[in-house]
Amino acid sequence: MSPAGWFARRAAGSLAVLVAVSLLCFALLDLAPGDPARAVLEARSGGRVPPAAAVEAQRAAMGLDEPLPVRYLTWAGGAVRGDLGVSTITGRPVAEVVGEAVPWTLLLAGAATVLSVVGALTVGLLAATTRSRWLRRAVEAFVLVLGGTPGFVTGLVLLFVFAARLQVLPSGGVGRPGQALTLGVVTAHLVLPAAALAFGHHFGVYVRLVQSGVSRIAAAPHVDSARARGLHPAVVARRHLLRPGLVPFVTRLGVGTGGLLAGAYAVEVIFSWPGLGRLAIDAARSQDFTVLTAAVLVTAVCVLAANLLGELAASWLDPRVRLVGATASTAPGPPDAPGSPTAPAAPDAARAEVLADAR
Amino acid sequence: MTGRRAAAWVLAAPLALSLVACSGGQGAAGGGAAGVQDAASFTYAESQSPDTFNPVMQDEHTDPVTEMVFRGLVGHDAQNQVVPALATGWTVSADGLTYELALRDDVTWHDGEPFTSADVVFTLDAVRDPGSGAATQHKLAALDSVEALDDTTVVITLSRPDAALLDDLAMGILPEHVLAGEDITDPAFGRAPIGTGPFELVDVETDQFARLEANDAFYGGAPRLDEVIITYVPDASARAVQLATGEVDAAYVEPQQAAAVEEDEDLRLEVWPTADYRALMINMDDPTLADPRVRRALNHAVDRDALVDGVLLGYGEPATGPLRGPYEQPGAAPSTFDPATVGRLMTEAGYARGGSDGAGPWTKDGEPVSFSVSTFAEDDLRVAMGDVVTTQLKEQGFDAVADPQPRDAVTWEDLDTFVIGWGTPYHPDTSLYSPFHSSQVLAQGGSNLGSYVNADVDAALDAGRTARDEDAEAQAYGRFQEAIAEDPPYVWLAYLQALNAFPADFAGPQERTLEHHGYGLFWNAEDWRWE
Repeated sequence: MSPAGWFARRAAGSLAVLVAVSLLCFALLDLAPGDPARAVLEARSGGRVPPAAAVEAQRAAMGLDEPLPVRYLTWAGGAVRGDLGVSTITGRPVAEVVGEAVPWTLLLAGAATVLSVVGALTVGLLAATTRSRWLRRAVEAFVLVLGGTPGFVTGLVLLFVFAARLQVLPSGGVGRPGQALTLGVVTAHLVLPAAALAFGHHFGVYVRLVQSGVSRIAAAPHVDSARARGLHPAVVARRHLLRPGLVPFVTRLGVGTGGLLAGAYAVEVIFSWPGLGRLAIDAARSQDFTVLTAAVLVTAVCVLAANLLGELAASWLDPRVRLVGATASTAPGPPDAPGSPTAPAAPDAARAEVLADAR
Repeated sequence: MTGRRAAAWVLAAPLALSLVACSGGQGAAGGGAAGVQDAASFTYAESQSPDTFNPVMQDEHTDPVTEMVFRGLVGHDAQNQVVPALATGWTVSADGLTYELALRDDVTWHDGEPFTSADVVFTLDAVRDPGSGAATQHKLAALDSVEALDDTTVVITLSRPDAALLDDLAMGILPEHVLAGEDITDPAFGRAPIGTGPFELVDVETDQFARLEANDAFYGGAPRLDEVIITYVPDASARAVQLATGEVDAAYVEPQQAAAVEEDEDLRLEVWPTADYRALMINMDDPTLADPRVRRALNHAVDRDALVDGVLLGYGEPATGPLRGPYEQPGAAPSTFDPATVGRLMTEAGYARGGSDGAGPWTKDGEPVSFSVSTFAEDDLRVAMGDVVTTQLKEQGFDAVADPQPRDAVTWEDLDTFVIGWGTPYHPDTSLYSPFHSSQVLAQGGSNLGSYVNADVDAALDAGRTARDEDAEAQAYGRFQEAIAEDPPYVWLAYLQALNAFPADFAGPQERTLEHHGYGLFWNAEDWRWE
């Protein structure tokens, strides 16, 4: 299958997923015992209980007395035209509210991804290639501790050490109020939340995937054969060790975006980061269903896009993904994904070598 | 600020309890922008930004920005008494139905336009328009008409006397020249409000901050601060860290953090009373609880001091009724913790302690006094109060069961009791009539959620809202308090206190009884200053 056809298929699939997510979101919010009309009135009176008559009037004003399918179609009709409605609590256009938050979350998630990739590659390769048993043990212990630490705890530890004690980094927000948001200012504010997200979230798993992916292949015959053919050690490392060795890691990275965004939800609250997570949590708390639905949808788009990117990257690293395009939707799983009994068998190292050299 | 002190800050926050303090040297003044800040700028951190900065969309729940940007016809002083603001004075007709207000002639809006009586007529008419959607609409229910006699005179005519009217006219006045022909609840205006207050909003970033600059043309004189910044920091530990590092000057703090503020010589802890009380609402549809003797016994079965110490860490006051300030008659409803009185009242009502040792629950005709104590499960404070009260009531022989429920799963008809919050620092009518008058019962769509009906209470509340002088008002609310002492609608628990950390060298914040959530703090921000 051609790359274009493959992409079209995946895009169509993604669209179907988005429709399903929006339907599910609507249905769940409808099933939930909440009453957005009551929430609106309570927000205006500081949480005091509004009279039932006022709630009824508000429900009618918000169109909530329409049946669910009518409300969904009305919403979907608008959404297709780019009109996501207005926030039920603040009355601001949802697209504007979400549009303000998305770049901050993308920046945070992007920075965290870069940090965790660089960190996992460094630590994982170190552990895979070192001959020091002591160092390997140290990495294992480090990975174990980080793997068992929730992101918000990592966040608070970082906050405590770098903002409260050492006072070398700001503790929250994206800049000083009234100060221009220069690159330097934003970067300084970005360091702690990005680190909390990068090193609190699955970082241990990533390190292990890099380490095990590479160290398995290090002993494979094709690597010995490459060395025997006199290839430069750097070429051997890059083409024969890293490329096939990183497939499980890269695939997991794409799939892990959902978890990354979930982690961002907590980190954004701790570090007063004005992103999608904080917006969604506020919206859920205040039952601002229009904003919440949009936040969920945008999150879904991000996850789908990241999964696609992950697959593309994996297929670049391991060309067999491209050759068996029809089954691309199940990208080759980690050859030795920990705890994954259904993981496909380890890649046929010899064949991978042939393919790589044939390029 | 030493690193060690900063450590104490974070450790004071509950989420950080698991952290182990590590050793280390003095912290360098780093990311905190202490150097950037000039002497006349003041930064205050609170948890959440409001939904809008529109005063007619905030019903006695005015956030700091709205409070500083807008002014009403009247204001409230440190004793929460009505004082002139945009109106310099008023006369009330003998029948209490006509108010003539004289307005200031030296007021301009933040955009430079003059303020006139047309703005007042526009605001009041727009708010009371049935379709306006304004949250403060109920405050103007008694209004019949509003007219401007000239640029500085407004006449308000009522359909019935309304003793709370002047207090209610403290609501911010909106600019006609900006909003004429628009929806007054317009969200765009709510983000870029134009008012007549001492500070104008110049910059706002959602969920980040609001920056206000001094309005040098303010009719009360130019503010002493050049700039006030309100930042929105949802996490209490992060707020504490920012206070410790100097990233913010002042902040709203939690009771757990009070000790750290008090130890910090750079900061001053302000503990102010609020009118925000918590009480156990009782559903009168329950035949056992409908007996006033049982409800009086319950009021004597709660140890309020223990509740304040245990749940509020001492930052609260025992509540013995729904009124604070000049209308409160402390002797009217003593409701002290008194097990002997509990026993006497329950025995009078025909109950006896069950069990072989006489330590079982109060029982009549083989039926124990048994009820659930519900509240919103999302509200940690109310849940904790419900738990403690349940334990206390059990010790006094009531078979109470704590039963927190998700906010949206609450159906008022089906509850036995509920930890509720009410109270106002201003005229009592708004916070008494809705929950206690028989015309407001739940079945008729009102906020009298316990379906409490008492003819004496009705008469007193009717007299209170139509009283034409202070004596008549005091008498009416005195009768109300006597009536609820005999027939208590709630089990009164505690008033919350509002805790704020201010810099030690900062002057101006003046204590008064605050609104719900400790709002109303910035009422005299024009006088705030660095020393």
